[in-house]
Amino acid sequence: MTALVVGIGNGSRGDDAVGPVVAERVARLGLAGVEVVTHEEPLALVEHLAGHEDVVVVDAVRSGVVRPGAVHVIHAGAAPLPRDPVALGSNRLGSHGLGVIEAVELARALGRLPRRLTLVGVEASELGVGAAMSAPVREGLDDAVRAVVDSLREEAGL
Amino acid sequence: MTHKGVGEGRELTAETLARVEGEGAMRVVVRDGLVSDVELRIYEPPRFFEAMLRGRGHTEPPDLTSRICGICPVAYEMSACRAIEDACGVGVPEDVALMRRLLYCGEWIESHTLHVYLLHAPDFLGYPGAIELAADHPDVVERGLRLKKAGNALMTLVGGRAVHPVNVKVGGFYRFPTPAELGVLRRELQGALEDALATVTMASGFEFPDFEQDHEYVSLRTDGDYPIEAGSFVTSSGHAFGVDAFGEWISEEHVPHSNALHARLRDAGPYVVGPLARYSLNHDRLPPTARQAADAAGLGPTCRNPFRSIVVRAVEIVVACEEALRIIDRWSDGTSTHAAPSVEVPARAGVGHGATEAPRGTLYQRYELAADGTVVDAQIVPPTSQNQASIESDLRGFVQHRLHLDTEELTRQCEQAIRNYDPCISCATHFLDLTVDAR
Repeated sequence: MTALVVGIGNGSRGDDAVGPVVAERVARLGLAGVEVVTHEEPLALVEHLAGHEDVVVVDAVRSGVVRPGAVHVIHAGAAPLPRDPVALGSNRLGSHGLGVIEAVELARALGRLPRRLTLVGVEASELGVGAAMSAPVREGLDDAVRAVVDSLREEAGL
Repeated sequence: MTHKGVGEGRELTAETLARVEGEGAMRVVVRDGLVSDVELRIYEPPRFFEAMLRGRGHTEPPDLTSRICGICPVAYEMSACRAIEDACGVGVPEDVALMRRLLYCGEWIESHTLHVYLLHAPDFLGYPGAIELAADHPDVVERGLRLKKAGNALMTLVGGRAVHPVNVKVGGFYRFPTPAELGVLRRELQGALEDALATVTMASGFEFPDFEQDHEYVSLRTDGDYPIEAGSFVTSSGHAFGVDAFGEWISEEHVPHSNALHARLRDAGPYVVGPLARYSLNHDRLPPTARQAADAAGLGPTCRNPFRSIVVRAVEIVVACEEALRIIDRWSDGTSTHAAPSVEVPARAGVGHGATEAPRGTLYQRYELAADGTVVDAQIVPPTSQNQASIESDLRGFVQHRLHLDTEELTRQCEQAIRNYDPCISCATHFLDLTVDAR
């Protein structure tokens, strides 16, 4: 069974593009057994979570407690993810009524969670419609790609 | 949510309005026991995109406007295509029109299902959200996800990709799906039709507050089919006008509390677009299975209770499944499989208008082109900006009769009343703050 990397975000809204951009960079690495998809709509996750052993989700986050471009890594374990604004992909961040956290918890309620699920969040600052990705987030892209690859390697025992 | 004393009255705030696509803000002011003001800041029109379109080539608007909304990209593409083709004086052949309708059915299935199951049904079933609903009724949510997946499959096959279809262009498509591909899809859609009918049954069993509203309805209407990708305007007060007369009949006015423009229909004022308007102005255009489902659900030829919009949305999912199956069958029987997937649309100077029925309501676009096809001016009027004034009007009457409710319950019911219109606010604003300011 392959691992899956899902980039979530809207390419027209500044730093919200970071999820798809990181996912596309991971895709270009051509890692064996790693499938990559991008989506604007977090709920699409529910469909992707079933059928894979190891899933890494990349999304923009806004916790306000770290500098823009910083990378958060959260392992979705047995306990529900916190649904508050500082958490990754909360619905206060994105342009979506149902965010990444809600998609994960919906999948959990339906018994669709993969054996291993890692959320890689990149702290965002600029989310305006039509804005370009901010410099700090652009500078954080390498760290985010590394976090995704590390997570995949960890699972593969490399 | 907070609740703190302000003088002799109270001020009630909720941080976010959950389960509305996107974010925004609402404020209700109550004075001396009367609702004195309702302000909704849920939506900003896509002015950024209008500005960005100026100076672009005439083949670019479908792709560029599809990025405005992650939920209804097809609606933006289709209205843009029709407006550009109108400006260039080109009509598309029937097979292109049919394939557009098929693609649009996918968006209706997906968008309506998302709203019915994951955003609106929890209100009626007494759950805070879809996650809690899924814990108690996994079968219900699984059915919704199955339906949504069928809509996705249709959009992916015909549109090229589920979000931001890449197979659409001015004049038609880059390629048509093959009969074999449509055959695989047909099986999934057959199951989706059954799920859609079960959705109507489910929604019709919900309890609805007694809340009939006398809104002016505006919708597209065609000579034959339920309006989706084509038609001209009709209104519930009996007016009819072409898409090219949109600007003569509908004006957009600035309102002080919002960046949004409020739309007004000439001689009528605020109006409503969307499932309730479409259904009530096109009941005689429902395909047979959808018509039966509507009858069985107890919907009459018109529906004036915004809370019952969830039933109408469910009926429209049936419409979309039924129409998609009909188009696929007709496609496979005909010669269109060998037809060219697009026509040339040579540039010329002119003004063009396009309107189609997005899941949330009529979406209008207007383009002015220079002789070489350069976009000189662009106007985009999405459904939510047209409905905003009527949502405020609903809330005014709704809150007035529920002032006896405690804060939490009143807030919850206001949210449900806003969700009746499935407002798409993902296109612009962030964060919805709900404030009920009672003094």
